[in-house]
Amino acid sequence: MSEPTVSEPWLLMARARGVGLLLRVVIGVAPMVALGCTLLAADQTLPVVKFVIIALSLVCVVYPDSHLGLLVVVLVGIEWLVTVDDPTTPWSIAVAASMALFHTSMAAAGVVPSSAVWSTAMRRRWARRCVTLMLPAPVMWLVVIAFDNRNSAGSQVLLAASLVTLVIVAVWARSGALAGGRAG
Amino acid sequence: MKQTDQWRPTPAHARAVLAGLLLSVTAVLARRPDLLVTATPFAVAAAWAVLLRPVESPVVRHSVGHHTVREGQATTWHIHVDDPDGRVDDVVAALDPPAWVDRKPADGQTVVSLADDGSEPLAMVVRPSRWGCHQVGPALVVASSALGGFRWASRPWIQQQRLVALPVPTPFDAAAPPVHVPGLVGVNRSPRYGSGTEFASIRPFQLGDRLKRIHWGHSLRTGDLHVTTTWADHDRHVVLMLDAFHDVGESGGIEGRASSLDISVRAAAAIAEHFARVGDRVALTMIGARGAQRVPPGAGFRHLRRLLEVMASVEPANAEHDDGRLPPGLPPGALVVMLSPLTSPRSLQRATMIADRGMSVIVIDCLPPDITDEQAGDPYVALAWRVEVLKREHQIRVAREAGVAVVPWRGPGSIDLVLRGLQRRSGSGAGRSR
Repeated sequence: MSEPTVSEPWLLMARARGVGLLLRVVIGVAPMVALGCTLLAADQTLPVVKFVIIALSLVCVVYPDSHLGLLVVVLVGIEWLVTVDDPTTPWSIAVAASMALFHTSMAAAGVVPSSAVWSTAMRRRWARRCVTLMLPAPVMWLVVIAFDNRNSAGSQVLLAASLVTLVIVAVWARSGALAGGRAG
Repeated sequence: MKQTDQWRPTPAHARAVLAGLLLSVTAVLARRPDLLVTATPFAVAAAWAVLLRPVESPVVRHSVGHHTVREGQATTWHIHVDDPDGRVDDVVAALDPPAWVDRKPADGQTVVSLADDGSEPLAMVVRPSRWGCHQVGPALVVASSALGGFRWASRPWIQQQRLVALPVPTPFDAAAPPVHVPGLVGVNRSPRYGSGTEFASIRPFQLGDRLKRIHWGHSLRTGDLHVTTTWADHDRHVVLMLDAFHDVGESGGIEGRASSLDISVRAAAAIAEHFARVGDRVALTMIGARGAQRVPPGAGFRHLRRLLEVMASVEPANAEHDDGRLPPGLPPGALVVMLSPLTSPRSLQRATMIADRGMSVIVIDCLPPDITDEQAGDPYVALAWRVEVLKREHQIRVAREAGVAVVPWRGPGSIDLVLRGLQRRSGSGAGRSR
């Protein structure tokens, strides 16, 4: 007799193998790597936030297709903002890379069932795209260094321009995300 | 997962957009440009997903290699995905099968990179492990765009396919001659002399004998006219009566234990195949959840296929539906082979009624022989079964004393002894055997 359908996330995770298993390991480890980098760059530490991030990342291992990942990213950002004082530290690249890895792993684990066998083409494409997401981070770090070296004073015009740009980007992303596709 | 016919943003896309925006706004407001470094991958992922978002829905077609197979045989469930935009990255197919249908891969989930691998590797092997009509599929097909940003899921309520698993007949053979039936046509030798083709004997000429029957050689040797006699030819009309009021025991499919209904259906398939192959007419009467289902008598492989398909559709009822009445359409002179687990006295009562009408009836006992062993873990249930089996043996004994032949199903030769007995008694026209 055929097996009953397993919809329990714990049981689905137990069936993970190959790339699916690797992805789940990465989802659990990547936020810890980000926390480690933050710890190396920071003067102080927030143990409670660290504990919450680790706990949430372990939950993300079981529920990769959930919004908990966003909470992990936000908390890592808060931890960085509060504990790190040096905006030019190169550890920010490592944090960005680990967060990119975390995001890509969760996206891939949300797309592909845990027990499915990945084809070579899929493995290569996802790896290529993950690296592509990581690459702009060092560029942005260089931009940050350049801005920091100028020691320019705060500008209300620049602030307003930045915020307007972000609003435009947000509106564009929202309209792009919610535009209805045509049914086939 | 929400099943829609449109592309929807995924939690991954929401994470990319919101994380990118929140970190960027915080970087601007808190004058912390280093947060932009962390925000950058998310912003790139969000922009990438939006730019490569598919617009058209993929077109998915399902098909099954064979709609009718034997139990234990496999066929392929094909899934074809057409991507009008060319922006679909990964396609996942998940097939949730009904009971008694195995899949390969075992969890019924496959994934392909549509652009690189095509949709052929989405095919799955489905294998019914027990006879019956199975509604398979549809497979849930989920397509995703770049970086898993958007997702499309097929409608689950369309394109369900019917897969009929015909019962695999157990080995069977019957060498006994047929019992008497009215009529003088057919492929079997009658127990009576007649104008058939098979030689019977040489006897002295009698008034009324045809001249072409004179055996000249013997007549010359003996000096008296002698004629050859032949056995009459006639056909055999077998009615298989399947008692599906009870399904006793646990079924393990084609490779596991057999329930009483498994034994009944496979035995009926074997008997039907045997008699249909030799050219006899075989009819089927099934009494189960759908009432009495009848297949009129016929011969040939097409008719056999029809019989097997009807057998595969049998659904067990419960004993409360059994009114003990005789199903209509039993022709006189037919050999009725009744297959039943005999757990209800009404089954034997029905067999006795058939015999009372002068028809030849054989009851094949299809109760699994190890039924009491199955319940060995629970002593009370095992004891109850032993009591039930004793009651049943008493009822069978009473039926035998009333002249109804009851034989256990043993495969080849199961009914030979009874058929020979019936054939010997066929001259008297009695339908009962002792």
